[in-house]
Order: sequence, then C-alpha cells, then structure tokens
Amino acid sequence: MVNGWMAFSRDLQEQLPLVLNGLIETLNLTVAISISGLLLGVVVFYLSTCRSALIRQVTKGYISFFIGMPLIVLLFLIYYGLPQWGVRMSPFTVAFIGFTLNVAAYNAAYLTTAFNGMDATELEAAHAQGFSDGQVFRYITLPQVLRLSVPALTNQVIGNLKDSSVAFLIQYTEFFARVQELAATNFQFFKAYLFAALVYLAIVSLIVVIARMIEKRICIIG
Amino acid sequence: MALIEIRELEKRFNDQRVLAGVNLDVEAGEIKVVMGPSGCGKSTLLRCLNRLVDPTSGTIHFDGQEVTGPMVDVRLLRQKIGFVFQQFALYRHLSVLDNVTLGLRKLQKLRKPDAEEKAMAQLERLGMAAHKDKFPAQISGGQKQRVALARALAMDPAMIVLDEPTSALDPVMCREVGELIRQLNSEGVTMLCVTHDIDLAQAISEKAVFLNQGVVSAEATFAALANHDHEATRTFFNRTKA
Ligand SMILES: Nc1ncnc2c1ncn2[C@@H]1O[C@H](COP(=O)(O)OP(=O)(O)OP(=O)(O)O)[C@@H](O)[C@H]1O
Ligand SMILES: [Mg+2]
Repeated sequence: MVNGWMAFSRDLQEQLPLVLNGLIETLNLTVAISISGLLLGVVVFYLSTCRSALIRQVTKGYISFFIGMPLIVLLFLIYYGLPQWGVRMSPFTVAFIGFTLNVAAYNAAYLTTAFNGMDATELEAAHAQGFSDGQVFRYITLPQVLRLSVPALTNQVIGNLKDSSVAFLIQYTEFFARVQELAATNFQFFKAYLFAALVYLAIVSLIVVIARMIEKRICIIG
Repeated sequence: MALIEIRELEKRFNDQRVLAGVNLDVEAGEIKVVMGPSGCGKSTLLRCLNRLVDPTSGTIHFDGQEVTGPMVDVRLLRQKIGFVFQQFALYRHLSVLDNVTLGLRKLQKLRKPDAEEKAMAQLERLGMAAHKDKFPAQISGGQKQRVALARALAMDPAMIVLDEPTSALDPVMCREVGELIRQLNSEGVTMLCVTHDIDLAQAISEKAVFLNQGVVSAEATFAALANHDHEATRTFFNRTKA
C-alpha cells in the first residue's frame, strides 16, 4: 500500500508538467466555452424574444435541438464525421464549437425562464418611454434576466468544467486524458482518479465562491 | 386647437369592438378624468395615444399632428407623452435615481451629471430626493408612484397619461397621490387620467368623461352625471359613489 502511494507520487512528480499542461488545457476549454456559450446564449435568447414569429420559431428549434442532442454525438459528428467531407479541425476547435453550440442552448433556456418571470409592465413602461426594442433589451431585459440567472449560469459553468473531460474522446489532451496516462504507467487507477476527483472538486469550489461574490454584488434588492 | 383630439377612434381585437368611435379632446393645461366600467376600453384608449396599441380606424391629433399614420415617429411621440401605470412599473434593477435618469441619458442623450441634476430636480419636486439611492422594492407604493411621476416628468412631456394610478394603493396613499396630481396640474401639467376611483376623480377634477360600451357617452360634472338622463351613466355614478 505504502509502496503504491510512493510509486504514484513519484510518477505524478515525473509527469507533473504533462498533468499541469492538461489542467491548463482543461481550464482553457472551460473558460473559452463558458464565455462563448454565454455570449451565444444571449444572442439566441435575444432572437427568441424578437417580434418575428419565424425567427422565434427557428431559435426555439435551435434550443430544443441542441438540448436534445447528446454532446458526445455532436463532438464525434464534427471530429470524426466532417473530415469525410474534407472539413478537418483541431480537437480544441471541435470541442470549442461543439460545446459552444450546446452550452448556448442551455444558457438561452435559463435566460428564457427568467424572462418569463419578468414583470411585463416594466417592459411596457420602457416602450412607453420611447425606448426601441433593442434598448429595452439592453437596459431592462438583459440586466434583470442575467442577474436572476446567476445561479443557473454558475451551474452551467460547473457543468462545462466537468463535461470538458469528454473532450479527451476527440483527442484533446486535457487534464483527465493526462490522468489516464498517469494511471496507465503505474496501474494505480484508484489513486489517479481520486487525485483527479479532488482537483475537479477544488476548481468547482473556486467557481462557487466566485459566483457567490458576483451574486452578492449584482443581486436585485427585493 | 386642443392638445389631443380623438375622433371616431375604433379598436377591434379580433371580433371584439373595444373602442367603437371615441371622440375626446384634452386641452393643454387641463386635467381630464375618464371613468367607466371594467373592460370598457380605458386602458386601450390610453395605449392608442402613444401607439402601444394601433387603432383600427379613426384619428388622433397630438399637438396638431396626426399620430395614427404609418409615417409617424412613434418613439418620438412616446417621449412626449409621459405614461404612469397602475403597477408603477419602476425598473426593479435600478435605483430610484437611475429609474429617472435612464430615459434622460439614453433617449435625450444627456451626460450623466446633467441627467442626474434634472432627475434630482423632479425627485425634489415630488418629495423623493431623500430616497434617490433606494431600490423600488425598498419604498412604499405611494412612493413608487411618486418616482413613476418623476420619471415621466423628467422627460419634459407635453402631457402625462395615468392609467388607474391609485388602484394599487391604500386609501391614505390614494389621497396623497391625488393631491399630488392636482398640484402638478395646477403647476401647468396637462393630464389625462383613467380611474375607477370616484374619490380620486372628484379630488382632481370637477368633471368626468364616461366611457361605456366603446364610446364616450357623457362628459359632465359629477352632480350632472349622477342625475344623467342616460340610465347606465346614472347607475354607474351613483353606484361608485355609494
Ligand atoms: N391585446 C389584447 N388582445 C385582445 N383583447 C384585448 C387586448 N387588450 C385588451 N383587450 C380586451 O379589450 C377590452 C378592454 O380592455 P381594457 O384593458 O382597455 O379595459 P379597461 O377599461 O382598461 O379595463 P380595466 O378597468 O379592468 O382596466 C377587454 O375586454 C380586454 O379583454
Ligand atoms: Mg385598464
């Protein structure tokens, strides 16, 4: 047992640069898709509140489609499927595109839920003041809906971190892929995956703390 | 010429004829009270004025300009008509001060200090200056309606339109807001007020317009309305008084 731990920590030290590299890749992907997923989510949400029934229908379709489609299928489709049509992209690019499409659909759904709880007379008051549709969205709808959605959006960021491990299946050498390699060198699977679990947990805790701080600063009084 | 001239205004929602030929004038400087049973189209009438609702037919002249045509700059029109709602409709994520400055900054393009100066003048006028940093959830209903009035007045509108401004208030606050409305009118603010509340109506005006079944069926003093030839009018003004 003691031998096992020593072997594990020796290998971990040896492979630490690779593991750290993987961790950076994981954080890269998580941060990138959290930002792009939020931005695209806001755009999709904006379109879903638009006056044109056709655009609303299309965005509803988008949300249902990407929430219904398993992420892994989407990633495999882009990474292994598209090359048959001559479209080849790096694992990071594929992961970035696949995750963004998926995360945006979820974020748009959260924002829509918050929007449905909004007071319609505030929006009417804004229109009555003379604000354009775009201004009402920017100054009234979006600030309120984003604040109300902080908990759901935080959960999504946590989900992004956890789901990013799926990207190793399309050859993206992120943290979990590196831990797999580590485990394979000394067969200390339990220790390796426990180590991975603790690292993920630590990052999740950090995200939660940051989210609490954000929530405290921007919450709507009342 | 009256500030607002409504002629044969008609609005249909599907088959329902909510407004069936309304004729109404509002003179600059006056306060006009419109009363009528629930669902008679009072809110719809007000919404037609600033095109929150598009009328089916008829004309509305605002300051001599026809406002029902397709070429009208609706957003400019709306900036000239201050709207006050029953539910106050303050922007809940903004402080009292920011509620008032938002329109000044984004619509009138004032710089922040100028917008705040102008907003503070209105909050001062309505006795809300001390509450400028509070959020809507932190003030009472009567105070919210004061802020809503300040927000409307800050835009220098040609008139203020009020849709049941006291329906969500308790009797004491009702009276308070009623006095405020009268005071503002005596300072020269043109107002068109829709209400169920006969006490409010009598507090702010000698006369009322009775809107019933989609048309203005009478416009007279309260005494005359309560003894009107027309039975529905007589009943309404006697019932609401009791
Ligand atoms: N957007 C709409 N679509 C369909 N019907 C509507 C719409 N807005 C109002 N109506 C109908 O028009 C009628 C008049 O509504 P309105 O809100 O103008 O009445 P009101 O006199 O303001 O009533 P209240 O005193 O209850 O506020 C109602 O029967 C209502 O159902
Ligand atoms: Mg109404």
